[in-house]
Amino acid sequence: MNETAAASASAAEDGEPDRAGGGAADAVAATDSDPVVVGEGVRKSYGEVVALDGVDIRVEPGEVFGLIGPNGAGKTTLVRALTGTTEAEGDLRVFGAPPREVDPQRIGLLPQAFDPPERLTASELVEYYGGLYDAARDVESVLRDVGMADDADAWYETLSGGQKRRTCVATAIVNDPDLLFLDEPTTGIDPAGRRSIHRLIERLADGGTTVFLTSHAMDEVERLADRVALLRDGAVVAVGPPDELIAEHGGEPSLEVALDGPASEGDVEAVREAVREAVREALSDESTESARAGEGEAEKASGRAEKASASKDAPAVESTREGLRIGGVRPEGIGDAVDALEAAGVDFESLAWSEPSLEDVYLRLTGEEYSPRSGEFGETAPDGGDR
Amino acid sequence: MTRVGRIATEASAAARSFLRRRTAVFFTFFFPVILVLIFGALVQTQPTGGGLFAEPAGYYIPGYLAVVVLFTPLSRVGSEIARHRDGGRFEKLATTPISRGEWLLAHTLVNVAIIGAASLLILALVVVVTDAEPVVSPALAALPVFVAVAVALFCGLGALLGALADSQDGVIAASNTVALPLLFLSETFVSPSLLPEWFLPAVAASPLTYFARGTRAIVYEPGPWLGDLAVLSVLALAFLALGAAAVPRTD
Repeated sequence: MNETAAASASAAEDGEPDRAGGGAADAVAATDSDPVVVGEGVRKSYGEVVALDGVDIRVEPGEVFGLIGPNGAGKTTLVRALTGTTEAEGDLRVFGAPPREVDPQRIGLLPQAFDPPERLTASELVEYYGGLYDAARDVESVLRDVGMADDADAWYETLSGGQKRRTCVATAIVNDPDLLFLDEPTTGIDPAGRRSIHRLIERLADGGTTVFLTSHAMDEVERLADRVALLRDGAVVAVGPPDELIAEHGGEPSLEVALDGPASEGDVEAVREAVREAVREALSDESTESARAGEGEAEKASGRAEKASASKDAPAVESTREGLRIGGVRPEGIGDAVDALEAAGVDFESLAWSEPSLEDVYLRLTGEEYSPRSGEFGETAPDGGDR
Repeated sequence: MTRVGRIATEASAAARSFLRRRTAVFFTFFFPVILVLIFGALVQTQPTGGGLFAEPAGYYIPGYLAVVVLFTPLSRVGSEIARHRDGGRFEKLATTPISRGEWLLAHTLVNVAIIGAASLLILALVVVVTDAEPVVSPALAALPVFVAVAVALFCGLGALLGALADSQDGVIAASNTVALPLLFLSETFVSPSLLPEWFLPAVAASPLTYFARGTRAIVYEPGPWLGDLAVLSVLALAFLALGAAAVPRTD
């Protein structure tokens, strides 16, 4: 519990100057444009196990910052270090102050494993946590925000898993925090409940609340986060806006071709050759177009066509459990891919085009990439990232 | 929110949470009742003048009170800490303005209220089912003070046990291990004359001894009790301070 804050509160009650020392004073001095969270070289070990291995992190005001990573990567430890509920080495500052000296009124926390006092209703729980702060939001409005207004009088233990989690989220926002730590807020919540939490996070962010979000739901982080950091083995291996991470690490869009089973080696080779030919033709057309524009451009296009033709990797065609997968197909190239399939004499049942997502980034950088051939996830050498 | 407000909020939630657990409430009050019925009515005083229960019934009033004053706070605060730790509640509370001392004080107040009610029940039962006649004097007003101070002391000790034990099972085992010897070797049910001379310093070192001596001086054998209350109060402050420091803040 917060000894410094209690001392500060007590001092305020006594009409004394704030005794929280540099921390609270620094927090006040921090300007609106200063980073809300700064961590440099953050390290934490539990005996022989290194949980955080020199993490550098920075969260800007009003940002929704997503933290992803496999189980045991150190996400919860980092949240604990930033909220002052565990000791960690390194320079950690929240609102310009060490975590334990931050005014608790400004912080909201939903711990990952959280089981509030039993035999209290959802409404009483929110009222209880609100009662610990100097100022708290109206209980009804908080419950409405998390979609729990209709179940406000139900005892916590009688609620479903999703309702419980939403009630816990309510306890984290009851003090209207400037910085909200949500450690896997939607675990166990059904799609409707998740959506209400997503909308809540978006509303909070729109209102200027900085949100530090950890999650295993990649679609959630991709949708909500302004920037994402990926933790692996206690270190940040990539950080940036989801779009940039996807562009850099997500791979290329692909076309899933459903056959009546896995494609034979012959089919794969035929499609690969047909796609290669289609690419060559496309680039050749581009070369002709470029020739009209200028000789230099034509030479470049011709060179690209030769490279595509010569490169065995150009058409990334792989057999999958359902058929085959053609990599590197952009929306405008779907017609060419269909032509290539027909040219190769492959009868397909359906096509599904997909863009790379944050999940692909996660799988690549954590070394848990999906293998289309086996249909299973396996340990692969992770991309290096910017560790 | 003022410090008083935070303590009131925590105490209110803790009290509601406890009072709605019917089984916990029932056994909290049933435990001392069954004890009085067994040792006060069933076993009774050894008529030949020897044995464990050789003293008049009134002598054992402090012992019956000691059962709830000792066992209930130890197990309740210890278990509460274990439950809070297991449920990530301390992690959450660490980011709120409430301090560890305020948290322990709030739970101590709840225990004082619960055990105060249980003590009243015990006194009434002792009068009804045994031939004990508590001395009625102005000093009787100090009896609730003794109960409250002793409860605070053992809440502090319970917090220490809860912080040291790594599970609820561990807390129960630890509190029983601590409470049983204290209960029987603190001038409650066993008079000092039944113990060897060399063991008496250990009896004097038990905080419960001062509760037993003080309350006996009030309800059974009128005598000075302020000294006992002073010792008990100092120990209560020390244990509360140690207990508050031991309440987990981090993992």
